Amino acid sequence: MSKARFIMDDIILQIDSVKKSFVRNIINKRGEEADERFFIIDDLDLFVPRGKISALIGGNGAGKTTLFNIISGLVDADTGSVVYQKEKDPVSLLGLPPFKIARIGIGRMFQDNHIFPTMTVLDNMLLADASRFGETPFVSIFKTKSAAKKEAERIDKMKNIFTDLFGEKNPFWEKRNDLAGSLSYGQQRLLGLARLFMGNYDLVLLDEPTAGVNPQIIQQVLLVIRKMIKEKGTTVFLIEHNMKVLLDVADFCSFMSHGKITAFGTPEDVIGNDEVRKTYLGM
Amino acid sequence: MNYILHIIIMINIYIILTVSTNLLVGMTNLLSLGQAAFYGIGAYLAVWALMVLHFPLIPAILLVMAGTALISLLIAYPTLRLRGDYFVLATLGFQLIIFTVLYNWVSVTRGPYGIPGIPSPELLGIVPISGLIPYLIFSLVMSLLTILIFYKLIHSPFGRVLKGIRDDEIAVLSLGRNDTAFKIWAFVISSAFIGIAGIIYATYVSYIDPTSFNLDEAIFILAAVLIGGTGNIRGPVVGAIFVVILPELLRFVGFPDAIAANLRQIIYGFSLIGFMFYRPQGLAGEYELK
Repeated sequence: MSKARFIMDDIILQIDSVKKSFVRNIINKRGEEADERFFIIDDLDLFVPRGKISALIGGNGAGKTTLFNIISGLVDADTGSVVYQKEKDPVSLLGLPPFKIARIGIGRMFQDNHIFPTMTVLDNMLLADASRFGETPFVSIFKTKSAAKKEAERIDKMKNIFTDLFGEKNPFWEKRNDLAGSLSYGQQRLLGLARLFMGNYDLVLLDEPTAGVNPQIIQQVLLVIRKMIKEKGTTVFLIEHNMKVLLDVADFCSFMSHGKITAFGTPEDVIGNDEVRKTYLGM
Repeated sequence: MNYILHIIIMINIYIILTVSTNLLVGMTNLLSLGQAAFYGIGAYLAVWALMVLHFPLIPAILLVMAGTALISLLIAYPTLRLRGDYFVLATLGFQLIIFTVLYNWVSVTRGPYGIPGIPSPELLGIVPISGLIPYLIFSLVMSLLTILIFYKLIHSPFGRVLKGIRDDEIAVLSLGRNDTAFKIWAFVISSAFIGIAGIIYATYVSYIDPTSFNLDEAIFILAAVLIGGTGNIRGPVVGAIFVVILPELLRFVGFPDAIAANLRQIIYGFSLIGFMFYRPQGLAGEYELK
């Protein structure tokens, strides 16, 4: 890890000695039921370079999503430190609630979309805006004019995002008044990504952004991820199982096994690693 | 004619109860069984404001709203940290506690004897609101005001966050919104307006006792919201009209009062089961409760 720090001196996220355990029920050697402490994250060290696309790969149950949940504040780590270097001042993330972590600039896209299905495409986007103006009951009842002005600005912002990401004639603007739950799975995935552009995030965590979508949508997802880096300067940290996608977009890659990072480097290096080939790629 | 006016006044009271409850149940997916407790707290605070403090109407309404809001705030923080079924149980516990306090704190509430002779409130300290027509106007104004305010809340960025919580609380958190703060707002606003229903009821009937605010009443309010439908304003309004008019219709069909009361409960029960299966969004709602 110290060698890697020489290579990258601008780190946006630094994770040191993080442990997370669960108690699980097992049958012991004597054939009796017993509780066993199981470490899903086991003394893990990791860093994410600023302004790059970093990928995290590993088998099912390796602890990748749990690690994302710890970074997002949805799960508490047992021990260790997770430090987010927003600008100059480092911020310790452990113990912060998820909404505060989002407000300081860490966005999240989930493996299972987590869009709002009974709300319109429009409302899905507007709810993701970085500005929370108008969301207090007082403003909603008494300051309707200034709230309406802010809403108009949000809608403009949303239209620009859709146009920028998906072109002038995009299905999202046309379907803005449709319920998000009525979109296809691939479109919901793209909506989840587009939603991140409404916030002011310096780092986004993408959990398997190309899982379960067709090749055409994969290309659109990759286009959006590249735009995050190029146009917004956002750092991307993603979990990915598609090796083609990994080689296509990622600058760096970490391999996770049994709660630890066991290989780090360029995607080519990691895919070429003997342990990765044997235990993950099955080669 | 007086009978019809009475029905309309009761509908107005129930519209306030159901529209307020909808902010929790239909907009935020918080199933509360404690709404009748706030209804009762509002009614008893109204008695205190009018009979002890001798407040005119508007200060009495403000005191009732502030009182119910404050009590709801005190219980909101611990209960709203609970999720799903645990929140329902916590509100059920609160409902039972408030009923027990109202029933047994005889020195203050007169317990099961109730409080008779609640005076008609005075508008601006001069014009007394008494009689059916003034109460019709008073209850109508208050229910329309409630509808207007909740319509604004639902169709605002505030309402949008509540809908977000209803759909996916984790997504709301990951977008930088403090879900607990929004749920507390919804709980407090809902309770404050239910307090208004309490003051109208107490002064209109001029007698209150704890049995008007027991668990049956809490379930009744919830049933009205679910039958009418949630997620918009129209549903709870239709629900209020339905539950107030239904027993009156049964009376017209010729059922004796004693049977009609029990039949009413059975019909509500079957209606709820039927709606859950065949029309989960209720008569006029737009959201299907999960």
